[in-house]
Formats: sequence, C-alpha cells, structure tokens
Amino acid sequence: MEAYLLNLGVLISLYAILAVTLNFIMGYAGIYSLAHAVFFGTGAYAGASVALNFSASIFVMVPTAMLCAAALSLLLALPALRVRGEYFVAASLGLQVLAVTVFAEWKAVTGGIGGLIGIPPVDIAGFEIYSPGSFFILSLVTLAAVVAITRLLVRSSFGRSLKAIRDSESAALAFGKNIALIKTTSVVISAALAAIAGSLYAAYMSFINVESFMLDTSVLIMAMVIIGGTGTQLGPIVGAALLLILPGALSYLSFLPQTEIGSIQQILYGLGMAVLMIFRPGGIVGRGRAETGEGEA
Amino acid sequence: MLWLQLAITGLQVGALYALTAVGFSLIFGCTRIFHFAHGATFVLAAYVFYYVESQGYGTAAGVLAASVAAVGFGVLMDRLVYAPIQRHEGSFFTVFVASFGIGIAVQNLVGMVFGRSFVTVTTPLSRSVEVLDGVYVSPLAWIAVACAGVFFLGLWFFLRRTNLGTGLRALADNPELIRVFGLSPRLLSTYAFALGSFLVVPAAVITGATAGLNPALGHHVMLISLAATIVGGIGSIGGALVAGFGLGLAESLALLQFDSQWTEAVTFAILFLFILLRPSGLFGRAATS
Repeated sequence: MEAYLLNLGVLISLYAILAVTLNFIMGYAGIYSLAHAVFFGTGAYAGASVALNFSASIFVMVPTAMLCAAALSLLLALPALRVRGEYFVAASLGLQVLAVTVFAEWKAVTGGIGGLIGIPPVDIAGFEIYSPGSFFILSLVTLAAVVAITRLLVRSSFGRSLKAIRDSESAALAFGKNIALIKTTSVVISAALAAIAGSLYAAYMSFINVESFMLDTSVLIMAMVIIGGTGTQLGPIVGAALLLILPGALSYLSFLPQTEIGSIQQILYGLGMAVLMIFRPGGIVGRGRAETGEGEA
Repeated sequence: MLWLQLAITGLQVGALYALTAVGFSLIFGCTRIFHFAHGATFVLAAYVFYYVESQGYGTAAGVLAASVAAVGFGVLMDRLVYAPIQRHEGSFFTVFVASFGIGIAVQNLVGMVFGRSFVTVTTPLSRSVEVLDGVYVSPLAWIAVACAGVFFLGLWFFLRRTNLGTGLRALADNPELIRVFGLSPRLLSTYAFALGSFLVVPAAVITGATAGLNPALGHHVMLISLAATIVGGIGSIGGALVAGFGLGLAESLALLQFDSQWTEAVTFAILFLFILLRPSGLFGRAATS
C-alpha cells in the first residue's frame, strides 16, 4: 500500500509539472497546444540516452533534456507566431502525430516501438536515487521549483506582457511589445521545463517507449489543466492529482466488471470534460467562467 | 505499374477521406463549431451498419439504420452539448474540449459493446479484379469514388438551389444577419449538423467493407477530416473534397518512397506546411492571423 501511494505520488508530481508548464502557455499566453507530450517524450528520450551512454548525473541529464526540448519547441513556436485558434490546434496536432512517428521509427535513438530499457537511476552528486520514497521527495522538490519559476515569470513584466498578448494581440503590439519574441520565449520555457518531467520519468521507470508520449497523453495533460482551471496557479496541480487518483479509486469499486475498468475510466473522463465545459468552463479552481480562451474563432 | 496501383488505391482512400471531410467542413464552415466528435459519428454509423448487416437484415436496412444513428448523434451533440455552451460563452476551445470528451466516451462505449478487435463487413464487392496487367481494383473502389461524386454534387445543388441551402450559406457568412430575416441560427445549425453527419454514412459503410473497423478509427478519421478541411481552406466545401482526394493520393503514393509506418506522418507534414505557409488553404477566402 505504501509503495502504491509513493508511486502515485511520484506520478502526480511529474504530471503536475507537465500540467503547470502547459498552463503557462495555455493560460497566460493563449497558446492551446495539443503537443505537450512531444516535449515530455523528447525530455525522456534525451535524458535516457544521456543516462545510458554518458552519465546518469542529474546535472548532465536534465540540462541536456531541457536543451533538446527547447530546440524542438521552436517548431511549435513557428505556427504559434503565424496563426491562432483552430489553426494552431491543428498545427500542434500535426506536430504531435509527426513526433509519435519519429519516436516509434527512429530506432537508433529511441529504440523503435520496443523503446529504451535498463535506464539507470538518477544520480545526484554520487547518490543514486533508487527508492520510491527518495524519488518522491526529488519529484516533489522539482515540482515546487517549477511552480516557483512559473509563478515568478507570470508575476514579472514578462508575465504581464504574455497576458496582454493573450487578451489582445494588436493592443500589445500597439504598446510596443515584441510579440514574436515573447511568444517564442514562452513556448521554449514551457517545453524546457516539461522536459525535466520527461527525464525524471525515464529515470524513475527505467523503461520508456512511445506509448507514454502519444496524443492521448497530450490530451490528458490538457484535461488536467482545463479540469483544474486554466490560468490559475493551483488548478493544474489539482487537475493532475484528480485525474490520476480517480482511475485507482475506481478499481476499488467491486461491482464494476474488472475487464471493462479501463473503458469505464475513459468514458467518465470524457463525459466529465464535456459536462465541465457545459457548466463550468473555468475549471474547478477557476472563477466561474473566467479566463478560458479568447472567444474569437 | 506499382504507381498506378497505388494511385488507384489512393483515389479510393481519398474518396472516403473527401466524404468525411466535406461533412466536417460543412459543419465547421456553417456553424464555426469545431466538431471533433465527427470521428465518433463515423464510428457509430460504421458499427450500426455492421451490426444490422451481420444480423441478416440486409444492406439497405443497414444503411438506413446507420443514417439514423449518424444524424441522431449529430443533432443530439448540437442540441445537448454545443447549444448550452454557446449560450453563455462559446469560445472555440471550450467547444473543442467538450467535443473531444464526448469523442473519447463514444469510442470506449463502442469498444465495450462491440469489442476492440478489428471487424469487417464481408461482401463479394471487395474482391479485387485484375483490370490491367498487375493492377488489381475491387468494385468498391469505383463505388467509393462514385459516392464521393454523387454526394458532393447533391450537396452542391442543395446548397445552391434550395431555400434551406441558401440559409446554411447565409449562416456561414453572417449569423447575426440571419435573425434580421426571421430565420433562427440555432435551427439552421441543427440542420447543418444533420446534413454533415449524414455525409459520413457512405464513407463509414464502405470503410467497413474495405479496411475494416475498430473503435479507435474515429480519431484517425477526425484528424484526416481536420487536415483536409484546413488544407482545402476553411469554409470551402469544394476545397475539402479536393484536399481529401489529394491527401489520400499523397498517403498512398508516399509508399513509393517510404515505409507504410510513415504514411500518417506524410499527411501531417503536408498539414503542418500548409498552416505555416498558406493558412488559408487551397481555396480559403481569407487567411487568419
């Protein structure tokens, strides 16, 4: 039971990092990306490759993963500068599908469909983080750091510029904001921070394959942000915890047929998203119906 | 003759893409609702046809039942999900998330009821005939292309020549102005959903007989419809048709160069380039930025 809870705790912390970083571009910059799992995956593969081939030290692994994801995120920044609304969602979907194909087929780096196995545990200044307990602390600390960084950014003048762009791009332009630079920076920061979760995930699981980084994952992360509350500080974390605890809790209900548990979870999660959008589009933490989307389109 | 064989397969696949994309494009163009659950409509129609047919009621009954299911689902989505959302806010993303959620629920529901493995509708029409030296074509390929042509012409006449069609085009242009003419945008939107959902039925039925069905197909159908709508140009139904055929051909002809795992990537690379370089698509009216 304790192992189960610790495992759940690690996963919630890692997914909360993903949700917080996605919320950073979704809630504050108005960039609705369905490609966040791409950066999660890039971080995981890059971190795993470094750990397998060079060094499992956290000070080598995590920065490399962040750099790779940051570089790749320029591909997402490109359409973000050109288009908005449904066009951008479609572009991010395209990127997600392309990335899944590359993850599954670039056998030399990603190990193909089979993935990478035997990834060594992460090493902090000579100490290997093996036990779930210590890894839970590590992931919690990382989550706190990521939350602190995004909080700092959102409250800075950079964050105010982001919100200005989200609310009215032309007004922000009129005030002399460099929109292209600000948007690109926000996408790069978000991707790089998401890659931290990816590389820690690889070290924790010691096995990764493409299954963890598909469109479903991107949608799951997006659902965490939306269900929790887009553009709120606490929302993404609440959403991540809720969506990861719920499936486990559901399997304790003995009257449900065990073979269909997976489907029932998915149905509840799908219906939950729809019902929430109808009655409370601001999310659980959000203030009623504030701050979701720009209402153009 | 490999390229000819691939081109014919591409046309067949493209015809099915075009049919679903035209339905999505009609709904999206008229109502501006990002109906992601369009893929779910496709899966529902396909499985209802498969069920009725395999119970021995015949093809006609199957098509009828599939049409009722598709139209019913489309109209219910409009009435129960999109109408309430639009009443208070209706931002593009809120609608998209709700639609996506319903899509997931339907996919899993279908999986629970009909099982998750592949099923195929058996028909003598899917047997391939050698038409040229080394080129095999099944009669279903011609049926698919003919269906795309007939339904598109039908839709074109409907939109140009009937009052309801004119109303739908007006809805696409300016929903506010419609009210001035005493028409209800809500009612017209429901018609758009009924019509757009009905258009997936031929594609769903033919897919059941050619490639086979599984509940996860909805996702793929949706992504392709979205890609074709954007490549063709949002608001242009003819564009969706051309782009549907184009994407089918590109996917099939890509096999000359790449392994089959890369076909989906080809479609989305095309989509990605279009959004970057020409977001208004082939026949779009104006680029958004």
